[in-house]
Amino acid sequence: MLSFEAKYRQEAMAVPPRASFGLLKIWIGRFYLGFWGVVALVFGILGSGVWFWQVLFVDPNRTNNPLLNFIRGQIAPPPPSVGLAITFDPNKGFWWLFVVFCATVTFFAWMMRQIDISRLLKIGYQVPIAFGAVLSSWVTIQIVRPILLGSWSEGFPLGVIAHLDWLSAFGYRYYNFFYNPFHAIGITLLFGSAFVLSLHGATILSAARKKSEGVTEENVNRFYWDFFGYSIGEIGIHRLAFWAAVMCVLMSNLCFVLSGTVVQDWSAFWDFWNYAPFWKNFPFN
Amino acid sequence: MATEVYRESFERRTKTVRYLRFLEGLADTQVGPIYLGMWGALAFFSYLLCVFITAIGFGEQVGYNPIRFLRELPVLTLYPPPPSAGLQMAPLQEGGYWQLATLFLSLTLVFWTIRIWTRAVANGLRPMVPIAFSAALFLYASIYIIHPIWVNSWNEAPPHGLRGILLWTNHFSVKYGNFYYNPFHMVSIFALLGSTLILAMHGATILATLSYGAHREIDEIEKSDEGTHRAQLLWRWVMGFNATAYTIHQWALGFATLVAVAGAIGVLLSGPVVPDWFQWGCRADIVPGLQKACVP
Repeated sequence: MLSFEAKYRQEAMAVPPRASFGLLKIWIGRFYLGFWGVVALVFGILGSGVWFWQVLFVDPNRTNNPLLNFIRGQIAPPPPSVGLAITFDPNKGFWWLFVVFCATVTFFAWMMRQIDISRLLKIGYQVPIAFGAVLSSWVTIQIVRPILLGSWSEGFPLGVIAHLDWLSAFGYRYYNFFYNPFHAIGITLLFGSAFVLSLHGATILSAARKKSEGVTEENVNRFYWDFFGYSIGEIGIHRLAFWAAVMCVLMSNLCFVLSGTVVQDWSAFWDFWNYAPFWKNFPFN
Repeated sequence: MATEVYRESFERRTKTVRYLRFLEGLADTQVGPIYLGMWGALAFFSYLLCVFITAIGFGEQVGYNPIRFLRELPVLTLYPPPPSAGLQMAPLQEGGYWQLATLFLSLTLVFWTIRIWTRAVANGLRPMVPIAFSAALFLYASIYIIHPIWVNSWNEAPPHGLRGILLWTNHFSVKYGNFYYNPFHMVSIFALLGSTLILAMHGATILATLSYGAHREIDEIEKSDEGTHRAQLLWRWVMGFNATAYTIHQWALGFATLVAVAGAIGVLLSGPVVPDWFQWGCRADIVPGLQKACVP
């Protein structure tokens, strides 16, 4: 336990349970258990256990080297012939369905667990909301989009290199993902997030533990006014951080779910550009 | 008050301070006073030259027709010299514009880094922001300068233009055999997605504990208070591990820096050291499936 932890555990014990939150209020070492912790634990162990078993002992392309198998092994989704059926045939992607189901339940339980703990600590729900954004990404790519296209085969294979191959092929399947405007916005926010993170981390580290030299928040403000003309402030930077990261994920959801459902060719998507009303009838030389 | 150690010419600040009223309640509203200084002036004029040269190059391509310029802006591109030109200066229309624009763009970034450095020190801060920025500068230099010089051709560098840099990124990956198999690219992407994850976690944690004052991070690092305690316990109870108000910013800076540094190494090794990352993957035996595409 941390030096101040006992007080907060007592405080948490006094929070009355409500629905599934606050049940099984037990700590195991540093971990809080709770009802949703049990759910996450059971399905997490089940799903990752099956994944390791498949990749290390069943995958037809496995080698004698477990590390290599971890990197190149995969559980492939059901073939297109299965459609959206729930197959129990282990040669036709049953274990893919099984692991995707377990993972979805685990991720959802993890979010509920964050809500549970936020409630016990009497803080806001921003952490589970941010986690919900990335959970929505998993659900969009593995469940919603396959259902929209009528086939589980649209999901990605569960494997380290295999999902990279899938991602690469996915980009070229719709001509080229570099032409996908939502991909562009998503990547911009992705790099933007890394940029904001680096600025924020560097800024705090540059001002930290210099109280004896009289360095305060004011120095940081003056530094940013000096070089950039604007200082967003202590609260503002964390709002920017939250929204940059969350919007990055939501934009990439859009870029996936529109591919194959609405747009087949992201280059042809831009055909409207030359016929935009503004310059449609303009006499070019 | 920190002492001003740098004495620069052009040492002046804007007199007027403006307020962005629409940001009230969301973030700080004050804009300015911005500082000029010698390095700021150099960066400004250098960037102006870069934009001017690019505009001339684009303008020639559309016959200086403003409507055509707007219509074709996404695909207008200044290309580097052809491979036959090697590292020579090229005529303006055959890569010379690109060479001049890149020269001034590079100078801008160097001046900007020095500017941030002098401003950080002058305001009593450690120069961590310019150090972090120089990681990005290293990635830029690897792509635009070091790699082209190593393979003896400016043609290897990205062109200037919206579609141009995207197509270059795509071609560079394919040319060196598929960047998804480049382990440094893998590490860089891991750090990139990890950075977004850390950013979301940190931003959300601080927003969730705003009412307890966890956002006053510089004070919280000196002596942690209720907000930071609750934030730490949240992660400790959720995943069994927590950073402190100080170490979370070390994680942040480390992950964000790793994106650029690993990416730069991945670019530099492509070509002279590893000509084909997919074949490298074949030899490392990490390609899934039957490896039909692998050269024996």
